[in-house]
Amino acid sequence: MNISHRITILIALTFVAIFSIGGYSIVQSLHNATEVKSVTEGVVPSALASADLVSQLKDVQQAVFTVVTDPDDKVAALSMEKLAAKKKQLQQSLALQGKQADNDKQRGLVKEAEESMNNYFQAIEETTNFKLTGQKELAEASLSASVAQYQIELEAIVSTLRVEKNRSKDTAIEALNKSLSNTVNIVSLVTLLTIIVLSIFGVVLYRQITRPISKMQLMMSEIASSQDFTRRVPVERQDEIGRSIVAFNSMIEKIQESSGLLKQKTTDIQTMLQNMPQGILTIAGNNQVHAEYSAYLETIFETSDIAGRDMMDLVFSHTNLGADVLSQVEAVGGACIGEDLMNFEFNQHLMVGQIEKTMPDGRVKILELNWSPITDGADTTIRLLLCVRDVTELRKLAAEANEKKRELEIIGEILAVRQEKFHEFITSAIKFIDENELIIRKTMTQNEEALTQLFRNMHTVKGNARTYGLHHLTNHIHEAENTYQELRKPAPDIAWDQDMLLKQLAEVRARVAHYASINDVSLGRKGQGRGDVERYLMVDKQAIQETIKRLANANPNSLQDLVAAQDAAHKALQLLGTEPIGEALDSVLESLPSLANELGKLPPMIEIEDNGYVVVSQSASTLKNIFMHLMRNSIDHGLEIPAWRTAQNKPASGRISLRLEAVQDMLQISLSDDGRGLALARIRELALERKLISEADTVSDEEIAQLIFRPGFSTAEKVTEVSGRGVGMDAVQNFVKREQGSISIRFTDDAAGAEFRGFETVVCLPITFAKHVDGFNYRQYDQSAGNLVAADFGDSGDTAKTADSATLKQA
Amino acid sequence: MAQILVVDDSGTVRNEVSDFLKANGLTVTPAVDGKDGLDKLKSDPGIKLVISDVNMPNMDGITMSEKIRSELNNNAVNIIILTTENNPAMKERGKAAGIKGWIVKPFNGEAVISTLKKLVA
Repeated sequence: MNISHRITILIALTFVAIFSIGGYSIVQSLHNATEVKSVTEGVVPSALASADLVSQLKDVQQAVFTVVTDPDDKVAALSMEKLAAKKKQLQQSLALQGKQADNDKQRGLVKEAEESMNNYFQAIEETTNFKLTGQKELAEASLSASVAQYQIELEAIVSTLRVEKNRSKDTAIEALNKSLSNTVNIVSLVTLLTIIVLSIFGVVLYRQITRPISKMQLMMSEIASSQDFTRRVPVERQDEIGRSIVAFNSMIEKIQESSGLLKQKTTDIQTMLQNMPQGILTIAGNNQVHAEYSAYLETIFETSDIAGRDMMDLVFSHTNLGADVLSQVEAVGGACIGEDLMNFEFNQHLMVGQIEKTMPDGRVKILELNWSPITDGADTTIRLLLCVRDVTELRKLAAEANEKKRELEIIGEILAVRQEKFHEFITSAIKFIDENELIIRKTMTQNEEALTQLFRNMHTVKGNARTYGLHHLTNHIHEAENTYQELRKPAPDIAWDQDMLLKQLAEVRARVAHYASINDVSLGRKGQGRGDVERYLMVDKQAIQETIKRLANANPNSLQDLVAAQDAAHKALQLLGTEPIGEALDSVLESLPSLANELGKLPPMIEIEDNGYVVVSQSASTLKNIFMHLMRNSIDHGLEIPAWRTAQNKPASGRISLRLEAVQDMLQISLSDDGRGLALARIRELALERKLISEADTVSDEEIAQLIFRPGFSTAEKVTEVSGRGVGMDAVQNFVKREQGSISIRFTDDAAGAEFRGFETVVCLPITFAKHVDGFNYRQYDQSAGNLVAADFGDSGDTAKTADSATLKQA
Repeated sequence: MAQILVVDDSGTVRNEVSDFLKANGLTVTPAVDGKDGLDKLKSDPGIKLVISDVNMPNMDGITMSEKIRSELNNNAVNIIILTTENNPAMKERGKAAGIKGWIVKPFNGEAVISTLKKLVA
């Protein structure tokens, strides 16, 4: 039951009570009125009438007396008529009394009175008759005897009746009074009761309404003041208050949700500000830095004293900005903050986008600044948001990447020119530059003839450079040419300045030298040219083009992009003029299958593990000379015939392994095979035969092994076509030594004194023979195609080489 | 009848600003100081925008702005001040005088023309 129902019931009850009391009062009033009426119209007049009876009786008596005693007959006759009338009146009154009799007693009395009256009137009639007949004495005697007797009797009865009637009247009035006072009492009591009941009901209802409301109000105030939106007001009722509480609770839930959301957002923003690698601050009035800023800002400005600082001091002190620009920047802050957004548009172009800030230790940071307005609902700029990015590294990288790009473009230009042509161009360019230098040094003042010669020479160099598409060079030559051209004019803008001209020429010479050095050093194209290198370099030209494209497309604002592009450029540049060892040795490797066949062996597998080393192209022929002998020796002396190998549970075809690594600033190339090993017993035997050692000597395996480098020493059972031609290990050693290298035998097992021992031939060469390329993986060598099949430029840098990952190819 | 009143005691700035605005199809009345500016504004009800320097002889730009509002009872005209410094006291007065914009010198027309055009539309 809800509150409105309760109030309705209370009102209804009140109405019912009022109607009941009113109704009862009316009924009682009506009843009392009847009573009053019966008293006033019945009992009282009847009592009065009973009193009349006595006087009427007296009248009759008077009349009788007159009739009897009056001597005048006329008077007697008149009294006779009067008596008759009085008699009638008395009879009527008595009859009325009979009618109005309240009780049996009264009725008995009336009856008695009637009887007595009849007797009375009979006596009167006898008496009057005596009179009328003239018997006057008889009449008088009768009057005083029987009439008087009946009269006394009747008087007594009537008197009793009157008393009786009076008593009846008194009783009726008393009853009426009682009834009236009863009515008053009952109505008063009922009214009082009604008031009490309604009051109780009202108080209960009031409490039922106000208590929960004040309880609700209390809890609501508590929630509001504590801001604890997890709390709810308990719903104990289904009425209006209950519904209010439900509504309130759902509002609290919404507030909880949105405050949770707000909290989450604040946390998110705080987290962002704490962790983003960008400086963010906001500037309030008076160019003051707001307390909320990103943590990285402290890294950029190298101070934790940021909040509340003057922006001009924090950001713009010790920068490359002049005093005038600084005052503009300061004024711009003032012109925008607290003003309409349009002021930001007005002055945005004056907001400095990049500054160079000198740190206390002298380092210069390049900072990129980005300004945005923070506005309120009315489009008033309340603060300025300033994003600060430290782009020092980025700019440096971008500059480096640009330099790399330029260099790659130059390489591309050079590679497009055949080596001989390029050589010719450089030679002639240097000749003309030399000539110009001589002319400038000789000429002290402006000289038409000298200028013509200078211009012609430079024009020729430019023409040649342009013909060969050497654009980066052309631009510089063009400048020098322009200067000469200007000086040749009738009224030149510049004067003949020897120093300036020499400086300019030196610049051109340096550019040409740069081109020449790239050609000679990076591209390994020094001199007139070498056909096969040309072919190899043509392949890499594509890689260069791709790298240039990558550099050009790199986003200059992305550190990652720039680093990646630079790495690619770096690799491309490093790989120029180099080749994988497999490629450098391709003619050797190609010859191995046929050699194996001649010796009745299967073509060996070749395993190359280069550990990221590529060999420079110029060293290819040296390497070929060395490894032609060593690999042939492996097949001839090391690897066994298939039947023999199979018997020893080895694969039918042998394996030759080549491993490149850097050891103590030398390039170390180790060659090994899975053949029978070094025939130490046989070498010792031969050494004894040739008296190189004696039986008495204790000679170590190492010393024995060293003997194979002696001139003319060969262990082959017979002189084969392959390795027993006298050009043995001694020749190889001489060759290696000529290249400032060394060669040695290193045992790979612990079987000292055994007949055969596992070993590898270790060739050390100057490190300049090879280059290490980061992130470059060994190249697979596919001998059947004789070509490079895959080059992995993976950026993960996984250069780890294991025997498993090394490539095995059927040679 | 002109759309814009340009108030500056420097002929160079006045001409530069005026020429730029004219080149962008706007009509301009020049004034040499605050007093002159008030007179010109009084006599030309078509002016919708006042661009004024601050420091000028006879009457400065801020005082002129105050008088435009108080003496001429002209609350409709937009006022933009060309300024060089960050002066909070001046800005406070300017705000009270209903100055709408602050352009830091040097005046760069290209950057502000579209907004100025909106103000005289």
